[in-house]
Amino acid sequence: MKDWTLKWMFICLLCFLPLAMYLHLISGQIELSFASYLDSILNFDSKNTSQVLVREFRVPRLLMAMMAGAGLSLSGMFMQTLFKNPLAGPYVLGINSGASLLIALSLMTGVHFFQSNFGLIGAFAAGLLMMLIAQRLKSQITLLLVGLMFGSFTSAIVSILESFAGAESLKSYTMWSMGSLQQVEFGQLGIILVIFALGIVASFLLVKPLNMLVIGEKSAALLGLPIKATRMFVLLLTALFAGLITAFCGPIAFVGIAIPNLSRILFQTTNHRYLIIGNILIGAIFLLLTDAFIQVLEGHISIPLNALTSIIGAPFVVFLLIRKLR
Amino acid sequence: MIQLTRVSVGYSGELLHAEKLELEAGKVYALVGRNGIGKSTFIQTISGIQKQLAGEITMNGQLISEYNPREIAEFISLVDTRFEGVEYLKVKDYLALGRAPFTDAFGRMDSNDWRIVEEVASDLSIQHLLEKNTDQISDGERQLCSVGRAFVQETPVILLDEPTAFLDYINRKKLLELLVRLSREKKKCIVLSTHDLDLCLDQKVPFLLAAHGTVSLHETLSKETIIEAMS
Repeated sequence: MKDWTLKWMFICLLCFLPLAMYLHLISGQIELSFASYLDSILNFDSKNTSQVLVREFRVPRLLMAMMAGAGLSLSGMFMQTLFKNPLAGPYVLGINSGASLLIALSLMTGVHFFQSNFGLIGAFAAGLLMMLIAQRLKSQITLLLVGLMFGSFTSAIVSILESFAGAESLKSYTMWSMGSLQQVEFGQLGIILVIFALGIVASFLLVKPLNMLVIGEKSAALLGLPIKATRMFVLLLTALFAGLITAFCGPIAFVGIAIPNLSRILFQTTNHRYLIIGNILIGAIFLLLTDAFIQVLEGHISIPLNALTSIIGAPFVVFLLIRKLR
Repeated sequence: MIQLTRVSVGYSGELLHAEKLELEAGKVYALVGRNGIGKSTFIQTISGIQKQLAGEITMNGQLISEYNPREIAEFISLVDTRFEGVEYLKVKDYLALGRAPFTDAFGRMDSNDWRIVEEVASDLSIQHLLEKNTDQISDGERQLCSVGRAFVQETPVILLDEPTAFLDYINRKKLLELLVRLSREKKKCIVLSTHDLDLCLDQKVPFLLAAHGTVSLHETLSKETIIEAMS
């Protein structure tokens, strides 16, 4: 692929992003005027229903869709590069399992501390645990297996908790596990945005190490890459993105595995400078459009985000793979 | 350039022992020995990624364990036998990775870096592969690319683990001649493990003979002696 083809693809994606944002904003059930969007930012009136709607629902949901799409795609890309495996995703380290476990605990034991905080703690505890284990392991495939085992272990505990839980808490947990972008409040957005932005900056610092990891850890080490430190940094960033998003939006399937593959197939490069930008743009656009679709249907039926991402995305990726292998 | 003193090489048990070896600049050393005797382990131990069981390895008078990974990468390059190619990784970009120890934190290549890549590609006659993906060329072509990446690294020491395994006869001969020429012109110290006894004998390179658990240096050896020593 020539450099200018890549540039054109990025320009197209960049133009498409505002369009996807616009589609997402207008797909809500209640029609809102452009003026109320503007006013909700410039001179907010808490008694005006449309402005409150914008602040409390539309904008947080829009931003969360973009951040979740971009963040999950990025962390999936990290894992695929680190493990040299296209099947890896943001959840291979058991970050979602950690979040699920603590959220299940909080809901079913009735200790109602802040739900998303509990998820955050679980996700980071899982990430931290994996980093400690990674320090002691020589091979990456073992780390992958440990992550898998951790996932099975925690989901077993969650099943046991479920069997003891009452109907109400069972329902809350199921709702969380279906994934949703509307749990975030306006007040929480600031901190999420800051963490997310820091994560993006850190990702670009990883361009060179990631490009070296493409040819394997051993070869990268021979080229002077400090392997253990790099591994830690990559795991930390993955835990940051995946943990943040899972805690606030629940587990969102598919995006983290499919979008990095899609980006690689589209851009036909292993240069992470392009892959990072590609994953951010495609991930954000994909989740915006999926969630817009959910919003359109919301008046009639409510489809869980976690399901729709796979329903829309899986056939598309299979189509791409078949085309590529032909 | 590289000195080994009473070095034991192996993973859990000793595979090979080198009592005293000095590898000099300007020479190509052919490491020969039977399958499984520990040639790869020996090479990886010199490269610093595998720790020796005992003994001292020094590089320009300083212990190799005292260098950090990046310093080693500026001094030693290693060509591994097993590069299987990566989807969408172009030969050009694969070779460019050899500049990684010298590029900035973002891995940006300047015109000099690209000039080195071009030169190496023309030395190895692989210019026609530059735009191809590393997973879509033959095993032999990929092997030449691996050698190329080590050349691009421009290190004074180059270690090659069976670089000729997948090559045809012409390419084997050409590669060995190129290594000899490079070692003389650019004063490099090159060690390659190989089973191509005849080609090495033709080029009159010194041998590192790995047999019966020891590695020994021989400036000249006849084919008969080598075969006798190995069996």
